[in-house]
Amino acid sequence: MPFEPKIIAYLCTWCSYTGADTAGIARLKSPANIRDIRVPCSGRVSPEIIMRTLDQGADGVLVLGCHIGECHYDTGNHRAAKRLPVLKALLAYAGLDAERVRLDWVSASEGERYSRIVNEFTETIRALGPIQWKVGDRNKHFVWEKEPISHRYTAFSDEQPKHAVYLTPVHEQQTQALREKARELLESKQVDNVIGYEVGPRGRTRPAFIHNVEDVERLAWNQDCTHNLAAYLSKKLGWGTDGGKKKQPDRLPKAAVVVKPCDSRSINVLLAENRFLREQVYIIGMACDGIRQGAGFNDERIGAIQTRCAACNVRTPVVYDTLIGDTEKTYREIPPEHIYPGIERLEALTPAERMNFWLSQFDRCIRCYACRQVCPMCDCPICLYERDDSLWVGMGIDVDEKRAYHLGRAYHLAGRCVGCNECERVCPMDIPLSLIHRKMAQEMEKLFDFRAGMAAVPPPFVTILSGEENLP
Amino acid sequence: MNYLTRQEVATWLDKLAQEQTLIAPIDVAGNILYRPVQDTRNVQWDFIRSFMSVKEVFFPPTERLMLIEKLGLEVKITETLPEEKSIIFGVRPCDARGLLTMDSLFIDTEPVDPYYARRRENTTIIGLACQSLGPSCFCTSVGGAPDDPTGMDIMLTASGGGYAAEIITEKGAQISQRFQVFDGLSEIRPHPSSARKQELKIPPKEVWPAKFNDDYWAELAERCLSCRICAYLCPSCRCFDVRDEVLPGDNGQNESERVRCWDSCNGIPYRRVAGGHNPRFMKNQRLRNRFFCKFYYFPLHYGPVSCTGCGRCIDACPVNVDITEVLEYVGRRQP
Amino acid sequence: MTDKTDTNPMLPYLGKLVEVKDIATEIKLFRVEMQNGGGEAFHHYKPGQFAFVSALGVGEAPFGIANIPKNGDNMLDFAINRLGSVTTELHGLGVGDMVGVRGPMGNGFPMEKFTGKNLVIIGGGIGGAPLRPVIQSVMANRGDYGHFQILWAARNPSLLVFTDEYDEWRSTPDTELHLTVDQADSTWNHGVGLITQLLERVAPSPENTITITCGPPIMIHFVNRVLVDKLGFMPEQNYVTLEARMHCGIGKCGRCNLGTKLICVDGPVFSMAEVGALLESFL
Repeated sequence: MPFEPKIIAYLCTWCSYTGADTAGIARLKSPANIRDIRVPCSGRVSPEIIMRTLDQGADGVLVLGCHIGECHYDTGNHRAAKRLPVLKALLAYAGLDAERVRLDWVSASEGERYSRIVNEFTETIRALGPIQWKVGDRNKHFVWEKEPISHRYTAFSDEQPKHAVYLTPVHEQQTQALREKARELLESKQVDNVIGYEVGPRGRTRPAFIHNVEDVERLAWNQDCTHNLAAYLSKKLGWGTDGGKKKQPDRLPKAAVVVKPCDSRSINVLLAENRFLREQVYIIGMACDGIRQGAGFNDERIGAIQTRCAACNVRTPVVYDTLIGDTEKTYREIPPEHIYPGIERLEALTPAERMNFWLSQFDRCIRCYACRQVCPMCDCPICLYERDDSLWVGMGIDVDEKRAYHLGRAYHLAGRCVGCNECERVCPMDIPLSLIHRKMAQEMEKLFDFRAGMAAVPPPFVTILSGEENLP
Repeated sequence: MNYLTRQEVATWLDKLAQEQTLIAPIDVAGNILYRPVQDTRNVQWDFIRSFMSVKEVFFPPTERLMLIEKLGLEVKITETLPEEKSIIFGVRPCDARGLLTMDSLFIDTEPVDPYYARRRENTTIIGLACQSLGPSCFCTSVGGAPDDPTGMDIMLTASGGGYAAEIITEKGAQISQRFQVFDGLSEIRPHPSSARKQELKIPPKEVWPAKFNDDYWAELAERCLSCRICAYLCPSCRCFDVRDEVLPGDNGQNESERVRCWDSCNGIPYRRVAGGHNPRFMKNQRLRNRFFCKFYYFPLHYGPVSCTGCGRCIDACPVNVDITEVLEYVGRRQP
Repeated sequence: MTDKTDTNPMLPYLGKLVEVKDIATEIKLFRVEMQNGGGEAFHHYKPGQFAFVSALGVGEAPFGIANIPKNGDNMLDFAINRLGSVTTELHGLGVGDMVGVRGPMGNGFPMEKFTGKNLVIIGGGIGGAPLRPVIQSVMANRGDYGHFQILWAARNPSLLVFTDEYDEWRSTPDTELHLTVDQADSTWNHGVGLITQLLERVAPSPENTITITCGPPIMIHFVNRVLVDKLGFMPEQNYVTLEARMHCGIGKCGRCNLGTKLICVDGPVFSMAEVGALLESFL
């Protein structure tokens, strides 16, 4: 039997759904392959809906809304206009043909336009063939047998000496200055605690929470300080994200936090999202010369710098109350071809190869959620991908679910992820998450000229198209 | 005791692999994991410890318990018990100990869990003794040892360039009798492992209750991320969740499967009920529960301490929550 | 349960819904007729035991069995409050639909320890469901127990459960029924106030008395405080039935522990002396 595409069309009730009716009244032919779902606005069609639709077996997804400027809710379609190109880029990067998802505008009177679009889209999907996306087999394993595509930066020979030891004289000086500052803050009761780093009994650097002046000597600063401590701020300083148990306190909790430049960007994102107030956090910015690979673990891969540090061009924290260390001295030049080749190499593969690559990576995932837990930006009280009613994704530790979780999370972080790469570091299965999140950051920069966390402003998906902005 | 070269072991395993499923440790993108293999070409022999424990073979991350079919008002429920027979090669003593710990709960305590019990029955375990302890290993503190054959059906210990093989159980004898590889007793005995470290004292269960309300748990939990790495990698953690999920179907059939999958008391929703109440909402409550369960509740109910000293949690924790530090704290005498 | 080595404890029996009745806002009473010999497992369960009811295709959840067994009629009652995905699915079912039932589970009330004693039943909202079999048991064996007091409460009158049985309860010899709601409406002509206030007013004597409480955790906590601090009860005299999120009900999934006790196997019925000795709080 010849392939008949199954296409789900999300039509906004005010314009495109009526447009479809108009087409019907005018007896214009629309293919039977289209199954309409009426939504209040194209802006309602969130990426989870589209991804779930594809996961469930739709060969194509069509989203039709009002023309820009004609939205019944003023700016609902602005959201769709911004979101869908990014979602399509993500799905293409994951190995799906981007043409399987289409966003277009149809007004209530444009019956002909509706008919033309649905016929065109059906033929596009027919030519692409049935969707090959869902795996559906718990026992199938995927292995990447082609040349490895790494997310790991391989050090230069002259990099080795600098990162071979975790504590240089410069770091020692910074540690002393840090302890002095912490002492001052705790003695003057400017903050309730200082969130920093310490070295544990096994020699591993780990987060430390200093509540008392006597403990400031525990604080350390070295080349193993990999953790993004902004992840602890929302819970320490916020209220209402703990199941609503705490009411707004009489005295706002205050904490000092030790941040590297990447971590300071996270704080800007959290401030823009009103997780806590600027006056609640005393930001101790550290001039950072890079963190070692293997930091935080008993790992033999010491000596090389972490990839995110090699690629970093933000050497001074973007927001701080005090700066410790000399950022001039920390500048280091790395030729661009040694940084992040992974994304270009993935883009050079065919979609089917890319899909296989990602399946082979997510195959190893054990859904421990460490990537989500370590991320400062991920703190929804109930994660979309961990609901008890399995609304968006099933409970199982199967590759379809895992992929849906990772892609969904990558989308949720677009424009918010600052590229600290902690998710990748903590992943026990070495899944190259930076290759997805960095790709999304690239898309956001390309489409909206936006880099997350450089200032405490809302990300593009939350704002509407301004007069000067063009449709991406 | 038999003596075999590595090649002889490999040849025997290759032949067995043609008759039954052979699961062996292989390198998957830099991680040693137990996977079904067709032959021994890529099998690892000299690793310290696999990344995931052998638990995932007997208690899979996701497992179908039954199939539920609705046809009109009629309902048919079909249990889906595992049937496959398999051989798993290269199991370390700590992982075998983890299996015995899970046995005390799933098999030795009524009612018997048939899914786990079937897999245990249908699998033959070929152990591989460790030649040294890793930096985070502490199996000797929980009563284990790097060359402990407890729980194995056949035990291989490296000796003089090859392996001394001990056939321990009837199940082991059945596969060792295939292909005439093993030929009776020989003089070679395995070297007792000299790689023993200073033993960490595991505090007996009686000392734990007094420490329940200490501030230590809140201090420790401050850096905990509430991920599930420790529980999922652990050879003896066994908490699970159960749910029905609809299977894709055509022609109006209504099919769903009841699955169970791994869960962990570390996770926030672990005890959350539909109305929203969550008695273990705070991080320090959850982290404390994990350690108390392992060293107090579990041995109280089932006998063994629920820790095999494998050290995986120590290596993998992103924020260095270290079980040996916890044990040292609890074991400390009050001043 | 029947022959353990042969049955799969995770496999449910099938039950057919023979009655589905609204008994309060968002609360329905389901009468399930056990099929295919499943009724045998439930011939002799105790009040206070529970069963897992499956909304097949969505999931299963534990519910107290809300009636006492009647010779061979294979009928189980469940009073279910609609809150999450499983209960929403169950509320959508009608007479003739099938559900899964696994059980009976838990320890149940030690009714034999209560014989000859005065009983005080304290139920809040849907917490009344596991108490109903105790009431039915006392009514069926009235001579075995002393004075019987029932304190029944809810947030408002539309949330009171088993209202059509109150007359039967009142007419049982030597029995008092006291009702209260936190917030009354125009139809209400009984007491208004918290259950703790009602309890202090009724002031049951601790002499040879057992109390049984079920309701939201915070209510259990405060009721116990009143019983012990103001009315002179010893914790050993106060029984409660607790709940927790459960996924197996047979002590395997490890989830429902309260300190050293598993609520599914060592409970759900505990005396407050036992609960007080536990390290963890149920709140």
